[in-house]
Amino acid sequence: MGKGKRLATRALSFCLPLVLLFGFLIFPFYWIFITSIKPESELYGGTVTYWPKNPTFDAYRALFVDYNFVKPMTNSFIVAASATLLTLFVATLAAYAFSRFRFKGRRPLMIMFLTNNMFPTVLLLIPLYAIMRRLGILYTPLALILSYTTFTIPFSVWLLNGYLSDLPMSLEEAALVDGANRPQAFVRIILPVLVPCLVATGVYIFMNAWNEYTFAVMFTNEKSRTIPVSLRNLIGQLGVQWDLLTAGGIITIIPVCMMFFFAQKRLVEGLTAGAVKG
Amino acid sequence: MKIVKKFLALILMFALCMTIASGCRKKDDESSYDTATGEPIEITHWYWADTQQYSAKMQDIVKEFNQTNGKNIKVTAEEYPWDGGGYSETLFTAAMGGGGPDTASWKLTSTPLFVANNLLAVLDSYINGWKDKDDIDENLYQVMRDAGGSDNIYVMPWNTQVLYVYYRPSMFKDAGVSVPKTYQEFLEACRKLTRDTNGDGKVDVYGFGMRGAKGGQEPWGSFIYARGGDFSDFTTDKAVAGMQDFINLFKNGYVPPTAPTDGFNEIIANFKSGKTAMTIHHIGSSVGMVETLGDDVDAFPFPSGESQWTSMGDTENVIFEACDNKDAAFEWVAYLATGKGQEEWCKATGNVPVSKRVQAMPEFQNNKFMKVSIEGAPSAGIFPILDTTTEWINTIWPNTVAAALAGQKTAAAAMQDLQRGLYGG
Amino acid sequence: MRDKKAGIWPYLLVAPALLVVAAVVFVPVGNAVLMSFQSYDLRRPFAIGFIGAGNYSAVFKDTLFWQSVLRTVIWVVFGVGFQFVFGFCLALLLNRDFKGRGAARSVSLIPWVTPGVLIGLMWRWIYDGSYGVLNDILMKIGIIENPVPFLARQDTVFPAVIVTIIWQGIPFFALMLLAGLQGVPAELYEAADIDGANVFGKFFHITVPSLQNTIYVTTLLRIIWVANSVDVIYNMTGGGPAYASQTLSVYVFNKANALNLGYASAMSILLTLMLLLAAVPYLKTLFKIREG
Repeated sequence: MGKGKRLATRALSFCLPLVLLFGFLIFPFYWIFITSIKPESELYGGTVTYWPKNPTFDAYRALFVDYNFVKPMTNSFIVAASATLLTLFVATLAAYAFSRFRFKGRRPLMIMFLTNNMFPTVLLLIPLYAIMRRLGILYTPLALILSYTTFTIPFSVWLLNGYLSDLPMSLEEAALVDGANRPQAFVRIILPVLVPCLVATGVYIFMNAWNEYTFAVMFTNEKSRTIPVSLRNLIGQLGVQWDLLTAGGIITIIPVCMMFFFAQKRLVEGLTAGAVKG
Repeated sequence: MKIVKKFLALILMFALCMTIASGCRKKDDESSYDTATGEPIEITHWYWADTQQYSAKMQDIVKEFNQTNGKNIKVTAEEYPWDGGGYSETLFTAAMGGGGPDTASWKLTSTPLFVANNLLAVLDSYINGWKDKDDIDENLYQVMRDAGGSDNIYVMPWNTQVLYVYYRPSMFKDAGVSVPKTYQEFLEACRKLTRDTNGDGKVDVYGFGMRGAKGGQEPWGSFIYARGGDFSDFTTDKAVAGMQDFINLFKNGYVPPTAPTDGFNEIIANFKSGKTAMTIHHIGSSVGMVETLGDDVDAFPFPSGESQWTSMGDTENVIFEACDNKDAAFEWVAYLATGKGQEEWCKATGNVPVSKRVQAMPEFQNNKFMKVSIEGAPSAGIFPILDTTTEWINTIWPNTVAAALAGQKTAAAAMQDLQRGLYGG
Repeated sequence: MRDKKAGIWPYLLVAPALLVVAAVVFVPVGNAVLMSFQSYDLRRPFAIGFIGAGNYSAVFKDTLFWQSVLRTVIWVVFGVGFQFVFGFCLALLLNRDFKGRGAARSVSLIPWVTPGVLIGLMWRWIYDGSYGVLNDILMKIGIIENPVPFLARQDTVFPAVIVTIIWQGIPFFALMLLAGLQGVPAELYEAADIDGANVFGKFFHITVPSLQNTIYVTTLLRIIWVANSVDVIYNMTGGGPAYASQTLSVYVFNKANALNLGYASAMSILLTLMLLLAAVPYLKTLFKIREG
């Protein structure tokens, strides 16, 4: 294969699709950003501008100074992080059981978990609210953590179970033959290989909790508000406050992406760690 | 074993979060009041804010009330998203789940639902013993009674908005149109104002900014009445004729093609950007209009045809049945209805005050939009408030009208659907 | 090594997950099932009472219901289908070694991180018939002459919302499959290289089979998620115009908001049953792969 031809293949099979896909994925984000720095007159102007003539960062200042946007961000973070950790812990145990043991009631249990997520949540709101109130956790982060966990556990159990079932069984068997017991084999052999999958599942749980609105508006008050509720407070009967809303969007997106930037390294590390031992 | 340690650390972190969370809760419990020992009487109030300025204003009013009420009442106001009307559902879910606030800002349309479930406190005895009772027009109390469907008052008036037509004087001049005095002249104006102003063969200014999305039933009602129809029966020939006029405006291209999904945002944006020459809304948007258009915006009441009707927007406050200190709660909603709260709120939002004392203040007498609002007030009314009204407004009206605009339904068929949706059968 | 006689262990491991889920969901769902057999309309609380299958027979006669079922099928097939294809492509691209890969990976998550409110409003804004950037672009490159009110027209509104859900769901598949790809042993590819297999051969004979479980599980979960998703459509169109973008879950949401909970519950249960039915082939294959 000639060098030129190889470059051409690379461009066609790699660069082009990458650029196209990323264009599609990122353009709306770019548009959110542009909107956040456009003055209103330009927003509804006769011509669409792709870079504002008079960019203004007032909205960002207003969000932090007048609106104390840090508080809902902290609340969201506490809720999402707690829900992620709790779900991951509980779901890993269950997924391990489902993938490594054959026991009575296994299939019905798995199907029950799946069905749990098929039912629309709007209909559960009133009783859930009453439950949270009786538990005495209404308007605390716990109410949200508990309700998110309930709806992320089933998915996470299934996801992790899928990953665990794809992992070659030989890894563990070797350790078990060597005289390790199951918990030891799990922690030493499975867990390191599972890290990428835990990261992926963790991101899934985190996002769910980060973006959820219906429960959040019911189970929080001024003190425990999360981002989706605060953002929606910016849309009144007199229209959308585009600048604040989009600026709020930008500052909720960026920290999460940065967090993932560090987490994604684990996506590769896990494999190498496991492969050495396997 | 590094992994194990990490895992343990994570669990520890989680436990920490939990402790923090439960710690917060304890603080909440401690601050609960006890009237016997002179602790303040706490009232929780829920409201939505149409802009951030309104929200800040509400917090100022609360602060002032807490400092000046002299009865040791402490109101805490919590903002909830308007969410296109989802506010009422949030409130309902909380109240049905045994929680919710003591008092809340309100829209009349939700009244039947809450009354049917015994969630609202009856206010008659409080209002009858209230020194400011006569500061509010008896008419308004009657509207409140009708909304509850009984002889009791469940809802405390706060402020109203009367819909009228905004127009661009400069465009009227260019097109040689004068302010319509009759409904026919209004329809004629829609036609004449639809123009291609830059000669590229495409229409760039539309006569009228039609609201086809949720909320559009309010301006639409004016068309039905102008033809002599009314809301007791949508299927009369006169009501259908009004609907036909509405459809024709779209069919003939006198309104933007986006009309079926245009909501508040779009009609206002189109008007401000000069895409439409007229649109219908209330005084709440006047501040923004003047900001953008300066002197080149004015208003007139929706003109009379065979009959005249315009929609009265409303905001009220209610006290919940579950509230433990209804006397204190009434002090608060009364403060909003006729006290300093009324003045402050109406000045900030431009809404029409319900207090006659406040209406008479010069700030309200000298505003041109307020004048048009007051001019339109005699023909202003509300939609029949039944337990079906909310669903009718949220889904039935917009979807039925969209089908009629698209030509899939005749005016008569659409009106029959609307009739069934509101009155059943 | 799969234990057949594991005793109490698996139950202990599943117990915490089961406990959390059951404690919170059991009562509300049971409640909803009961409501579906009652004329449970909170606007008329005095008339609440059991009516047998009355809600169900009313649902079956409701043309809006059947239309929204059909729309849900289209929504799921196109939505999940394209999410999967694009997501898989993205996963493969992001699995290759290149400069800035870490940044590319985190940036590709953006659609997923974007709060639901903003997704709806932003896409609505992009599609806007007067100030929308999509119309501007299409007009500049000469595909259309006049702006198209995408969300106001019944023929364009549904494709438009489907594009949005595709956009939103690509990162899910990309991330999940990328994680799965890390578990595929590199030796397999090396062996295939020696055998002279081409890219497609490697993809279909190594990548896909090794990810079998992950692919099945992620698509199954995504189907359920997308079928149940409300906020994209609700925030963009509310199901309109003229119900042209109303899927079953949006219909349920609208009915539940109107507080006709009996009717909404009956539709929810039918939706759950349909999803369960759709899941059967998946479950069969899944259980076969693992246990056969």
